Parts: sequence; structure tokens; C-alpha cells
Amino acid sequence: MVQNRRKHFFINKPLQIRFMIAVIVPLFLINLVALAGVYFGIWSKVLETFSNEQTLNDLVTASRMVEYEQARHPVASQNFSSLSFFMQTEKLSQRQREVFKGILNETNRSLLWKFSLLLFFLGWGTIFISHKVAGPFFRFSKAFHEIEKGNYRSRVTLRKLDEGHPVAQEFNEAMKKTDHLLSDLKTLTLEKDAPQAVAKIKEKLSTVQTSADA
Amino acid sequence: MLKRLICFLSVLFIVFSFSPSPLPAFEPSPEDRVLLNKIEKDTFQYFTRFSDKITGLTKDSSRTGSPSSVAATGFAIAAYAIGGSRGWIAQDYAYARILTTLQTLRHKAAHKQGFFYHFLDVRTGNRVWGSEASSIDTALAVAGALLAARYYPGTEVEKLAREIYGRVRWKWMMNNSDFICMGWTPESKFLPYYWDSYNELMILVALAVGSSTSPVPPKTWERWLRPEGNYNNHRVIYASTGSLFTYQFSHAYIDFRKLDDQGINFFENSREATLANREYSMSFSSQCKGYSESSWGLSASVGPGGYKAYGGKPGGGLQDGTIAPYATLSSIVFTPEFSIKAIRFFYDNYQKELYGNFGFKDAFNLDKQWWASEYLGIDQGITLLMLENYLNGEVVWKKFMELPAIKKWIGLTGLERRSASTAKN
Repeated sequence: MVQNRRKHFFINKPLQIRFMIAVIVPLFLINLVALAGVYFGIWSKVLETFSNEQTLNDLVTASRMVEYEQARHPVASQNFSSLSFFMQTEKLSQRQREVFKGILNETNRSLLWKFSLLLFFLGWGTIFISHKVAGPFFRFSKAFHEIEKGNYRSRVTLRKLDEGHPVAQEFNEAMKKTDHLLSDLKTLTLEKDAPQAVAKIKEKLSTVQTSADA
Repeated sequence: MLKRLICFLSVLFIVFSFSPSPLPAFEPSPEDRVLLNKIEKDTFQYFTRFSDKITGLTKDSSRTGSPSSVAATGFAIAAYAIGGSRGWIAQDYAYARILTTLQTLRHKAAHKQGFFYHFLDVRTGNRVWGSEASSIDTALAVAGALLAARYYPGTEVEKLAREIYGRVRWKWMMNNSDFICMGWTPESKFLPYYWDSYNELMILVALAVGSSTSPVPPKTWERWLRPEGNYNNHRVIYASTGSLFTYQFSHAYIDFRKLDDQGINFFENSREATLANREYSMSFSSQCKGYSESSWGLSASVGPGGYKAYGGKPGGGLQDGTIAPYATLSSIVFTPEFSIKAIRFFYDNYQKELYGNFGFKDAFNLDKQWWASEYLGIDQGITLLMLENYLNGEVVWKKFMELPAIKKWIGLTGLERRSASTAKN
């Protein structure tokens, strides 16, 4: 197992990145839409309730006390803030807006690190998943290169959690057979009785179909 | 014969010099007069409806959960006196209501050195919402009490009013400075704000200078800043917010028409400020549906975004299409022709949304289709007093100007003397 541990997260960078984009972008968008929907939905409801209900009279009175003071000592007008996204705040007083701005900022701060954590896990997850797919591809590619160079002893070894174990097993079986065939042929070329060796070679090759067979 | 003629002319000159100039010449139609009387009477009902029957303390606003405001309570005392004299309520009832309220202010209402806390519990008179012991709100309460004393001279009402006024340590509120501090709280002590520039401060400083128990130096009157600004050729000593109420509150009680202050006539100043305020809002008429030559009135009021110090120029000039009809009404002594036209317009066009059992609601904003659902005590108070001055022979001014404290203030600050010299010139 320790031998099989990969040292690099990115084995086949272009493939993995394409895979990550294909996974992470839809996931991210879905999450974003869901989060924004929940976030704006909740806050709109809260603010709408607050705007319409007289049950929060104490809050209104408390706000009014501050507004009286602010009217006596005017403060600079408020600029764009996170509350600007909510139409419902249009009819809230300055003080009420300040109260909600505080709550909203606190919520935003709380959501920000959760969102960052989510992004981290999402990123890690896609690297992990892409690794499981890209790893086998890499192994196969490496094996093909070895075969191309004439190394028929090459085998594909996958990690426990990698995808494509059955394919790798079949590939290795096929390679094993080919390796044995070629080994036998190679051994037969070393025999001193040439005619017998040729006959044996022909026998061995009779089961093999190639492009030389018409 | 010549001597007699000169003597006669001199007497005539002196009489006309010292008698207040009449209100701007404008005679409302009989229909308008009926409407104004109705508005005044309806406005008065706020104080009978929103004052506690046991303590007499008046709610700051008609909104549920509102505490009592000591300034609104002062206006209520004045309102009862006016209501009694006008026959809207029985004289005995008016007197009893005033007495109850004054007894609460004298014996129960929370105060510091005679300065009442801005907001009090309606039932107990205890300080609420961490409010400050407020100098201006105390002055407005005292002014109401002193006016009532003039309506009921030689009675318990007068005695209590004098005691409440005499208990206020005006000098203490100066906090060893040149100006009167805006307030004090047990937590933070004196507020970092002082009455150091023109606004509604004149009634406060007048009462503080005129006090016989704890007077502030007459220089306190001279020291506050009189910033001069210009809007559309209206030269105005202006308040920082440009809110109409700042040009009205002191004038509810004090008749400034013949008082000359360092060359300034504050009655004329308020008229100019009102005209400038109207023209300022009209300059936005293409952007805000509510503004027109018949629809104006930028003053501190509730609005779609809470209570704000709306106002014109010179000054802050904060506006968002919100109009405060109380401010238009309360300008009636300064600009009767424009005020009555606007009041008639509001009443005829927005009666359903804007007019209720207690007169005009606080404000409206056509752009946001927003109509105030509430009345504010102080805004009701200024409306009532200004209408009473306009409709009923300037009775509030006449009674208030006879107060010894006011005479003392005029004497010590040289306002009357300047008036005489100006008249002679």
C-alpha cells in the first residue's frame, strides 16, 4: 500500500483539471444558487415581517430615540451596503437599517468561513475523485509506453480505491499471455534443432491472429 | 398749535413704534377660516386622547408603545389652556388636566437639577430609554406651563408653573462653558453638544436668561452663532438642518415681530426661511411628485426611512420627496398666503390618506406612496399654537410676552431697546 501511495495530487494535470472543471463548476453553481436562495429568502422574509408588523414596537421606539438624536446631530448619509440588496429595507429607518446591517454582517461573516470550508472540501473532493480516474489512465498510458518500447513484462498496478480494476485485471491477463507467448518464442529461437524449433514456433503462432493473416 | 401737533405726532410715532407690526396682510376666505378652525380643534384632540388620565404625561407619538415626551407634555399644558378658553373642553376640566400634569411634573417626573428627562414613562414619570435630561425639551415644557399660568393667574396652576420654572438650574446646564448644554445623562454626564448656533434654541435661552432663580449670563444670548446664508435671494440666519420647525418653535410662544437682535428680526428671518424652504422643494418638483407650489414643507418628521431632519436651503437641504404638513401649517404666521393654499391642497386632495381624528398625520411621500400612520406630539403642539396665534388674535404671544421672565430677558439682552432705536431710524 505504502509503495502505491502517490506522491503527486496531479498525475495527469490537463485531464484532472478538465475533470475538476466538469465536476466543480456545476456543483459550485448548484451550491451557490441554493445558498443564495436560502440566504436571500430568509432575510427577505425577516425584513418583510419586520417592515409590516407592529408587534416589534419596542424596536421601533428604540430606533426612534436614536433617530431623534441623529436628526439633531445629522450624520453623513449611508453608502452602499449589504442591505442595499434588499428592497424591503427601503422603508426601514436609519437606525433599523443599522441594526439589521449589524445582524447581516454577522451572518455574512459566519457564512463566509462555512462557505470557504465548503469550497475547500469541494476542491479536495474533486481532486480525490479525479485522482481515482486519472491515476488508472496514467498507469495504462505508462504500460502502453513500455509495450511500445518492447517491455512486455509491464503490468498495470492500481491502488485499492482506483477506478478500473476489472479492466486492469483483463489487461494484465492479456499482457501475461502475450508475454508468455513471446517468451516461449524467444526461448525456441535458442534451440539447436532449427527445424523442430520452427515447427514449434509455427504451432505457437497458429493460434495468433494478426494483420499478416489474409 | 404747532407744539400740540408735534406732541400728537410724537405720541402716534411712539405708539406705532412699540406696538407689534401686524401679521403679513392676507385675509383667508370664510371657508378657509372654517377649515383652519377645524384643523386646530382636531389637532387639540391629540392631547386629550394621548395624555395619561392619571399623570397627564403626553405620549411622544400616537404609535403603540410610545413613551411620553416632556416637550409634548408642555405643548399639552398649553393646549388644555387654549382648549378651555376656546370652549372645546369645559374650563373646569381644562384646569384639572393642567393641574394634574403640573403636579406630576413637579412631584413625580424624573429630573436632574430641574431638567426633565426627554422621555418618561407615561404611568410613573420615570426616565425611559436611557434618555437625557434635556434642556430644550425642559424649556418647551416650562414654556407650556408658564403660558397656562397666564391663563389661570393667581391659581395653583400659576404656583406650580413658577415652582417648576424656578427649580431649573439653567446655569448648571452650561457646564462652565459659554453655551447651554443639550443634555445630561447619569451614564455619560454632560452631552458633547451645546446650543451654540441658531435653531430652536431661542425659547431655551430666553427662559434661561429670564430666570429669577438660576439665570444664565445675558451674554449667553449674544454668543450663539448666527450663520447667514442665501437661497434664491432669501437671506436667512439659518439652522444647520434647514428644517422648518427650527424657525417655528420659539415663535410659538415669543412674538419676535418687534424684537431687533443685532440688526436681525427673527420673525422676518423665519418668513424668509419659509419662502426659501418652499422654493427649495419646488426646485425638485420635476423629480418628486409631491412638490409643487401648493405642496411643500420640509421639516424634521417621520418618513419612509424613519425620522429624519428634512430641510431646505440654506442648511442641510435633506429631502427625499417627504412633506410634513405640520410644518406648512405652522408657517401660517409667516407665510399665510402660501400656507393656507397648501393646507387647502392637502385637505382637498389627500384627506383620505393624510387627515385623521387628530388633524393632519405627520408626513407623506408620493414618490414612495407612503403615508404616515402616526401623529407626533411636538408637531401637533406647534401646529396648535401657531394656528391659535393666527386665528385667535395672537393670544398666545400676547399672554407669553407679558411674563416677567420674558420681559427680563428682553431687558437684559437689549432687544427692545434696539427695536426702539431701529424704529426711530
